[in-house]
Amino acid sequence: MAKLKFYVLWLIVGVPLVWGVSKTLQSALKLFQ
Amino acid sequence: MSTTHPAGSAAANAISGGFLDKSRTVAPHDYNRFTVPAAALAVHLCIGQVYAFSTYNLPLTKLIGLTQSASDDWSLVAIGWIFSTAILFLGLSAALFGRWVESAGPRKAMFVAAACFGGGFLVGAVGIYLHQLWILFLGYGVLGGCGLGIGYISPVSTLIKWFPDRPGMATGMAIMGFGGGAMIAAPLSIFLMDHFKTSTDNGVLGAFVAMGVLYFLFMSIGAISVRIPPTGWKPAGWNPSAHPKKLVTHAHVHVDVAWKTRQFWFLWGILCMNVTAGIGVLGQASPMIQEIFTGRVSPASAASFVGLLSLFNMGGRFFWASVSDYIGRRNTYFVFFLLGIALYASVPTLGSLGTIPWFVIAFGVILSMYGGGFATIPAYLRDLFGTMHVGAIHGRLLTAWAAAGVLGPVLVNYIRKFQIDSGVPKAQAYSVTMYIMCALLLIGFICNLLVKPVDAQHHHADNS
Repeated sequence: MAKLKFYVLWLIVGVPLVWGVSKTLQSALKLFQ
Repeated sequence: MSTTHPAGSAAANAISGGFLDKSRTVAPHDYNRFTVPAAALAVHLCIGQVYAFSTYNLPLTKLIGLTQSASDDWSLVAIGWIFSTAILFLGLSAALFGRWVESAGPRKAMFVAAACFGGGFLVGAVGIYLHQLWILFLGYGVLGGCGLGIGYISPVSTLIKWFPDRPGMATGMAIMGFGGGAMIAAPLSIFLMDHFKTSTDNGVLGAFVAMGVLYFLFMSIGAISVRIPPTGWKPAGWNPSAHPKKLVTHAHVHVDVAWKTRQFWFLWGILCMNVTAGIGVLGQASPMIQEIFTGRVSPASAASFVGLLSLFNMGGRFFWASVSDYIGRRNTYFVFFLLGIALYASVPTLGSLGTIPWFVIAFGVILSMYGGGFATIPAYLRDLFGTMHVGAIHGRLLTAWAAAGVLGPVLVNYIRKFQIDSGVPKAQAYSVTMYIMCALLLIGFICNLLVKPVDAQHHHADNS
């Protein structure tokens, strides 16, 4: 149960973070196009 | 993660109290300490939204006119002060409530931060609904600002206690979230405003309510998940070095004593100079790259440049704070100041040579060190003042951020204006500013050079 909670929590914070970084990266790469 | 637990933990767990009570947050034996950085990230990713508040600036000036500002709409200048108010209250609340955060524990502090920050959005929404600017200031600026300050410092000392072997990495991981929060908030705000948009409403009200609820829930998840280590806990197999580094103490200094020491003010100077050098550039990044490379960088590309700087700012928080665990805090700041001076001094040359990629890389590294400065300072404080009151001391040190928040933009904006008014071409108007930034970093370098261990007379009598 503790392991599950651990993975769920990292998923909850990881998904929005990766989404935000990918959005920023997509926009940032336009600078070099 | 295997851990060692003295028997005292069971007794501590048995002490009953409210769900938010510190005594109820002592970790069970199977708790993975890497849960704490995730819980801290849940808070910092939310409060980092403040850096994306400008997404709302223009829509807030068109609440009545919808497509363009009506005569009764709020002005952009007035709206601009909401961000400044929030940052001001971040600094004030971190300094004022630091001791309370230490005594109340991370769960209660994170929950209060969630209530303030989420509540700030909801009170702000009332201000938008009634079209009363002062309610919006009171909500997002004052209440939300308090949520920012309490939320920012709430996980710091807990992380340091869980990671005595890697304090830089642990705090860097959390404070990285503050840099990354804007990357989530900016697209999320735009999405929510589009979602709630109708023919009579530009969607800001709905977005404020949704964000208030979302952020409260998200931060509460962090509050529920966080745990403090049992008394005397240490990572399995880890023992404090018998020969600690010169600047690392095993003693503790009380917050009321710490801020009267020279070391506190040298660290204040280090943070203030490092932040001043970065924050001025961050605020002016878009016009700066367009003016230095006139005609070669479009507004859209300039926005991409700002986004890239945010990535460096976020990545630097984790990277440099982790590096500081290996090379030491003092050496890390020496790198910031020396490399920063070299890079700022090279910017006018890079501008005149017209090399955009090198210019972008130079500012990327500068911004990584700006973020790194924020993320490394808690571990530096822990090295000098011990862990007992590190959260409260950190809170007081954040007043350096508030000072830098004024100093940095003022220096960049006013010197640029003075240069242009004196007839200097726009492309060269930033050269003097860059050399002034070098001078500021030199002051920071000297402050860092003067840092010595805290005298034993300042150590707390009870080091348990």
